[in-house]
Amino acid sequence: MMDGIDIDIRDLTIEYASGGYLVRPIHGLDLQVASGELVLLLGASGSGKTTLLSALAAILRPTAGTIWVGDTEVTALRGAALTEYRRHRVGVVFQTFNLVPSLTARDNVQAPLWAARMPARQARARAEQLLDRFGLHERLDHRPGDLSGGQQQRVAIARALAHDPPLVLADEPTAHLDYIQVEGVLRLLRELARPGRIVVVATHDERLLSLADRVLHLSQPVLGESRPPERFKYEPGQMVFEQGDRSELVYTIEDGEIEIVRQRADGSEELVAVLGPGRYFGELGPLFGLQRSATARAVGHTVLTGYGARDFRDLVGSGRLAEAIRQAPC
Amino acid sequence: MWRIALRDLQWRRRRFVIAVLATSLVFGMTLLMAGADASLHNEGRRIVAALGADAWLVAGGASGPFTTSTPIPAADADRVAATPGVLRADPLVILHSTLRRPWVRDVNVIGGRPGGLGMPPTAEGRAVAGSGEVVADTALGLGLGDRVELGGLELEVVGLADRVTWYFGTPTVFAAIQDAQALGFKGQPLAMTIITQGVPRSAPSGLQVLSDAQAQADLERPLASGTQSIAFINALLWLVAAGIIGSIVYLSALERQREFAVLKATGAANRSLLAGLALQAVLLSAAAAVLAVGIARLLAPGFPFTVEIPPSAFPRLLGVAVLVGLVASAAGLRRAVGVQPALAFGGP
Repeated sequence: MMDGIDIDIRDLTIEYASGGYLVRPIHGLDLQVASGELVLLLGASGSGKTTLLSALAAILRPTAGTIWVGDTEVTALRGAALTEYRRHRVGVVFQTFNLVPSLTARDNVQAPLWAARMPARQARARAEQLLDRFGLHERLDHRPGDLSGGQQQRVAIARALAHDPPLVLADEPTAHLDYIQVEGVLRLLRELARPGRIVVVATHDERLLSLADRVLHLSQPVLGESRPPERFKYEPGQMVFEQGDRSELVYTIEDGEIEIVRQRADGSEELVAVLGPGRYFGELGPLFGLQRSATARAVGHTVLTGYGARDFRDLVGSGRLAEAIRQAPC
Repeated sequence: MWRIALRDLQWRRRRFVIAVLATSLVFGMTLLMAGADASLHNEGRRIVAALGADAWLVAGGASGPFTTSTPIPAADADRVAATPGVLRADPLVILHSTLRRPWVRDVNVIGGRPGGLGMPPTAEGRAVAGSGEVVADTALGLGLGDRVELGGLELEVVGLADRVTWYFGTPTVFAAIQDAQALGFKGQPLAMTIITQGVPRSAPSGLQVLSDAQAQADLERPLASGTQSIAFINALLWLVAAGIIGSIVYLSALERQREFAVLKATGAANRSLLAGLALQAVLLSAAAAVLAVGIARLLAPGFPFTVEIPPSAFPRLLGVAVLVGLVASAAGLRRAVGVQPALAFGGP
């Protein structure tokens, strides 16, 4: 294991196609993590937690930006170097454990060691040592189907540690566990984060907040603070916001027209609506803490007023809010 | 990674066993087909060898001794015997008839001179010494002294010969030439062929000389469509076997996508996952091939003719089975290669 490993993420953007549309869960992310820290990626479903973990695990190539783990530029890895990184530098605890059902607890932990061509006897000893450490010495020969959720999670953590990697990633490690099992898993994760190793946990479980040395909120706050309305002027073709951007304001059109378009995965655009004076748009993102699901562009010279979500809700009134949401183009 | 492949087979052993059973039935059928095909050729080779001829003389332009419709005078045998290179020449009548006792069986009939060429070695009893006697193939189940009716002639079984069949195991009876002539030519002194000891240096006028190989080819010619059908069915059976193996491996690859994704995400190379899947296909094929040997041996006696599976068919089956297994698993292998490690996270 390397000493003094740290993570340096610069201007990271990740896009992928979903349902024919372009989705950008991570946009311009910067993050620095020091060795020994436990980082919590906190956010709702779809906020990009798992996507970021995938990029850190080098199994998803970002669209732009760089990720450095220690002296390795993860985003530049290819071929054998990529395999080497996945084998020795990073361990992943997958959501729902993802143990191989045909293998016993011991074999599941041995699997990454077999992949790295570790001698069988050595691999077996390492797997038994890890499982013993996690209190599973009596369950070595049990298949996942014969283990409780907590036991499966511990096997999954043991598998992630098989190569004693300097970076451990855990995706929703407390999902599917009862509170007694959660306690054991949290203790384990906390113990793992020590000098020379970084633990990154993706979760939407806020109970884990006190566990973390550092928290990265990937969901934007719902509603947000009250703020005075702002007036904006746009030239023809100028973008108000882009699909995938973080959402801040709800806009009403004072003058001119706005076209709402959705970017398809193939680079083309789908026209959703063209709105004129008196209409409002962009309310769903700020109201629900979501990223922009479409792009808004001025058609001609356009004047808009932007409201904070909380102020917009007060302006519309709770009675008309449901109707506003139902009619919202984005 | 081969350990994971083996553990997976163990885990899905019921499906593996069913696939092995189904595939072994198909492989067993291919062995039986190979045996049937070999039997046809072996029968021809055996009967030609049993008649002990160095050369076969038939009418000029005739197709051969077994299929000719142009008989020649039996007396030509004397003319042939006088030809340089010939030590002895005897006429043979070769017919197809029915035998009653009282059941009716189709038989091949060979009529030759008692004590002359064309009479096979007997396994039991003695050779035909004169009119009214026959040597019968053991496949007819007759005993020495049994009386049979052959095309209206009452004959006595005086000897038994082993494995003298042709045309899908049709048994042969050997009779005196005059009985065969009575049966086929209403007593006219005709013959289908004259076989010789020694090879004539030139063909007497009106006759042509054929070798054993040409005589055997003549015998097998009418079976060409049968052997082609066997080859076609064999090819279909291999396709069915490939389909079974391919489906099993593809299904396995489909079900194990998440597993492959996890293994890839934890550093398993594509080639080692492919090797594991290929190993499963090879094991399935090899196990089915081994079981097929037993199945073929079990079913072979059920055929109405002797199925002679050549010993070389067994290692060939194993080799081809492994090859078919690998080829059939290609779709599954392709599926496994295409699995993205990101699937281990549940997306994107």
